[in-house]
Amino acid sequence: MSVLNAILIGLATGIVFGFVLEKSRVFEPGVIVGQMQLKNFLMLKVFLSAVITGLIVLAVMNGMFGVKLSLKPLLYKADMIGGLILGIGIALAGACPGTTLAQIGAGYRDAIFTLVGGIAGAITYGYFDVPIKAFFNEKGEKIGFDQLLGLPFWATAIGLAVILAGVLWAVERWQSWTVETGTDYDGLMGGTVQRDKTAAHLRKI
Amino acid sequence: MLNLTDKAWSPYVAGVIIGLLQIPTFLLMSTALGASSSFVTVGAHIASLFDSQVSDVSYLAKHLWGAKNWWQVAVVGGIAVGAFLSMRLSGARRQTISPVWARTIGTSTLSARAPVAFLAGFIMLFGARIAGGCTSGHGISGMAQLSVGSTLAVAAMFAGGILTAALFRRA
Repeated sequence: MSVLNAILIGLATGIVFGFVLEKSRVFEPGVIVGQMQLKNFLMLKVFLSAVITGLIVLAVMNGMFGVKLSLKPLLYKADMIGGLILGIGIALAGACPGTTLAQIGAGYRDAIFTLVGGIAGAITYGYFDVPIKAFFNEKGEKIGFDQLLGLPFWATAIGLAVILAGVLWAVERWQSWTVETGTDYDGLMGGTVQRDKTAAHLRKI
Repeated sequence: MLNLTDKAWSPYVAGVIIGLLQIPTFLLMSTALGASSSFVTVGAHIASLFDSQVSDVSYLAKHLWGAKNWWQVAVVGGIAVGAFLSMRLSGARRQTISPVWARTIGTSTLSARAPVAFLAGFIMLFGARIAGGCTSGHGISGMAQLSVGSTLAVAAMFAGGILTAALFRRA
């Protein structure tokens, strides 16, 4: 694969990805912070639908056509500590690494600073990779739940897809996504305009 | 029906489309969707402007070149283009910063928000590189492959996010 072809495939993939991140409103800081405050579940809905689709796609591609999976190794300390730090950053940024770029595309100016900070963080990690990995001192295996259960990948994947679909059905029944997008499509439920008007009115009286 | 000029699509439709992007990614690139290592590729090139020894820093050096590294930079760049196109088609133009920041941490100007955003980006990518992936690589892709490590990283990510957001005022 030439680098030019790889870039063209990447661009096409990214444009579709960014288009639906914007359309679903999941890139909104209001949605991401709302998810972390367990108030707005739009992020979980997009996230789990992508996981469910991926499970089915990979069950077919791996189970029927033998396409190889590309798992990351299980590193207990790095996954837990890195994940915690990443989560702190996501709440403060109101974005994850990918949605930062969607925010820039949609016009949020602060996301440019998130991007620059992210690049600085990535460079800094690069210089400290050796001591950090030495500190954790882990050698991980690429292990999946299918191996733990001793079941074929495709069967486990479809089983999990069914369970996650049930979770989404229950969450949607409890709170509809149409409420979660917010009246100004910024993920602020109850509506920015309406709530700020009410607040201003209450201050007056 | 879905319309390109709509301001909002169902999260389920968006999620399914994102999940289907695994097909070209696995078939053409022999990898899974991800976003955070592209920050290392771009960062390594920026670092090389100031540090002629970057190719001796093995982690940065291995992200400098190669089809997979530049594919991911293109994906992440494409995300900005796609979001821009969608916003222009629907007219859902955004303010300078999201109103959520005034509501949750009392920040309503770009100059007050910028240092927090920079620090947040730094923390986010530093953590993602320790964990070896972000919401895309560990989340959308790792969980779809039933990876135990990715599921652990996603649980930790939500734990960190929920604990931090609990310190904010309610959105």
